[in-house]
Amino acid sequence: MAHCRQLITDDCEDLLARFQKTESVRFEVFAKIWREMKFSEMFYGSTEVLKGKTFSQQILTTAYRYFLPPYTFQIRVGGLYLLYGLYSSQLARPKVQIQVALKDWEEVKKFEKDAAQAQHFDATYILRKLFSQHAFYFAAMPRHLSKCQKKRNEKESVCEEFMERASRPQELVNNELLEELSNVHEHYERYRLSKTLVHPDLVPQIHQIVTDFTNWQFLVVSSTQPDHQGGVVSSLILLFSPQSSQRAELLAAIKSRSYGQAVEASKSRRHRQVEVHSQVPQRAPRKPSLKSRTDTILFKNVPRKKREFKW
Amino acid sequence: MATCGPQPERKNIPDYEYIDVNTKPFHIGAFRDLWLERLKPSDYSYKEEDEEAFEAEFANEFGLNAETVNDIKSICSFDALRCHPVDRDTTVVPPDSSLRTLRQRKRRQDYKANLKINTNRHELYAEELERLTVGRKPAGEENRIPEGEVIITINIYYPTIFERFKYVRPHATLLMTGSHTLANLRDAICCVSDLQVCGEFSNTPDIAPDFISKDHYKSSFFFLEGVFYNDMRFPECQAISSTTIEWAKSHNFPSYQQAKMEDTKFVDLTIKVGFPYLYCHQGDCEHLVIITDVRLSHKSDCQDKKLYPLLTHKHRVTTRRCTVCHIYIGRWLTTNDHFAPCDPCLFCDKCFRMLHYDKHGNKLGDFLAYPYVDPGAFN
Repeated sequence: MAHCRQLITDDCEDLLARFQKTESVRFEVFAKIWREMKFSEMFYGSTEVLKGKTFSQQILTTAYRYFLPPYTFQIRVGGLYLLYGLYSSQLARPKVQIQVALKDWEEVKKFEKDAAQAQHFDATYILRKLFSQHAFYFAAMPRHLSKCQKKRNEKESVCEEFMERASRPQELVNNELLEELSNVHEHYERYRLSKTLVHPDLVPQIHQIVTDFTNWQFLVVSSTQPDHQGGVVSSLILLFSPQSSQRAELLAAIKSRSYGQAVEASKSRRHRQVEVHSQVPQRAPRKPSLKSRTDTILFKNVPRKKREFKW
Repeated sequence: MATCGPQPERKNIPDYEYIDVNTKPFHIGAFRDLWLERLKPSDYSYKEEDEEAFEAEFANEFGLNAETVNDIKSICSFDALRCHPVDRDTTVVPPDSSLRTLRQRKRRQDYKANLKINTNRHELYAEELERLTVGRKPAGEENRIPEGEVIITINIYYPTIFERFKYVRPHATLLMTGSHTLANLRDAICCVSDLQVCGEFSNTPDIAPDFISKDHYKSSFFFLEGVFYNDMRFPECQAISSTTIEWAKSHNFPSYQQAKMEDTKFVDLTIKVGFPYLYCHQGDCEHLVIITDVRLSHKSDCQDKKLYPLLTHKHRVTTRRCTVCHIYIGRWLTTNDHFAPCDPCLFCDKCFRMLHYDKHGNKLGDFLAYPYVDPGAFN
């Protein structure tokens, strides 16, 4: 099943990316995208019983990942709908169950609570329904682990676009904290009035830093999407990027310029002229395949149409 | 991570030691209890939940009226996801699909159709194996696996006795319950080296089956998490791990413990999921044992206690056939044999006796015969 793992991931991410664009958590919206993509067909055509079963297992494990953090709440709802859709439309009988790991259980419960509090009844209903259908294996880990299988599989990557933006600074420095801090700071200033060790405007400074961070975050996110203000954004990013990387970029630019111009070799080394590569990191050209090489040797002068033999 | 100290309960929640490879050690019994205290009994019960009861409970919990629940139900029904009518043929891959997985499947199927190979016989066997066990209900209630029991999936790898086993990792997969002991696991593992017969039997071919290694050398051990679990069920069993323990002691290795296999239940074990452990029998036949999964039992599992340890997968090895008939698997290996086309030569039981003995079972000619057990004997 390793051969289709990447493709399954791609297909699921396609679906979820389209769901993300709608900025909705409604099941109708998800169902519409599902029908447009004909996602139920995913299971068609795997006639062998056992292969169908492993395929179901594989795709459910893949979808399960989107149901958990670090993805945003919307993607997690999408992941839940995806699990529901895949679980109900799979053709394996008896149905293959979704494995929930014990360590993820708290997240699942928290998700259920959040969804219920925000009155997303469709999401809550579907999660409850999956429970009542006994769609889960309560397991140790989200998938079977065996050391020997691991070698061939590459690491699973996390889809960055679906991730939640880091919000710790904003969470940490909220209004209450600022108020509290200004109180404490006042006291502190009073005590240390005689000395000049205090920052006179600590609280406004912290507030300014967090606002700057939020702005920067917004800029970075919007710059990754195709944007008409590209130039402005990139210059702003340059402004924010640390000095060390600026230096590295400068060095790279100088290097590429100097390698771009070839110095003519002296007369004695004329047979070994320096060649200029248009791009610096260039791969060695791939040898043509054995088949094509044989073809060119054997059928050098025969036009393509006449190559068919009759036995 | 440094902020939250290690809570005693926390350590039995399995987490990765190396991501996607294996977990940290945890206690299986404690793990089961953690799940059970987090779940409602209805979550892991075998009973089908009534749909109306489910809706009533849902409405009750969130204070919704029947109309709203009906709306939600119709919106969230599976029909909303249906892409085709119900009677659509699902055995064909739809052409020109937009899904990448399907396009690849289509390509592979077209390629396979070109090969003109019939269905693999082994796949048929595997399907039959599954049909025999899936969803089996026990005859009596006392044989039912209790709700909330742990099911442990164990891969037993074949010893690397063949060169080609360096590239494939053939294994058998067993399902065990938490109440099984390691001795149950030992009995469920079938390995050809248990069936070997040592010695030359050309004069007395009938008594050869009485000398199977399994009955002669009963000692074996598992090595899990620094403890050797010896099989001591029979008086002739020896703790064959003592040699290793003493050697380790004399070479300043950390000391290892010993325990009895038959007294150790799975629920009492502390293990890592996905970590390779060792099963050793017949002195030096060594198998890797990997516990790939631990979970609570589910209503779709085979519920008949008697069928456990349950075999769910077995790698099938190609067998060597009799040189004469080419039908049956070789049972005898002869050397210095004038009747044989090659030396050594394999015979099935029937051909061997027809060729080498007269009607009264007297040996004809001069040859040496050894019982042969094919690695594929368990197919």
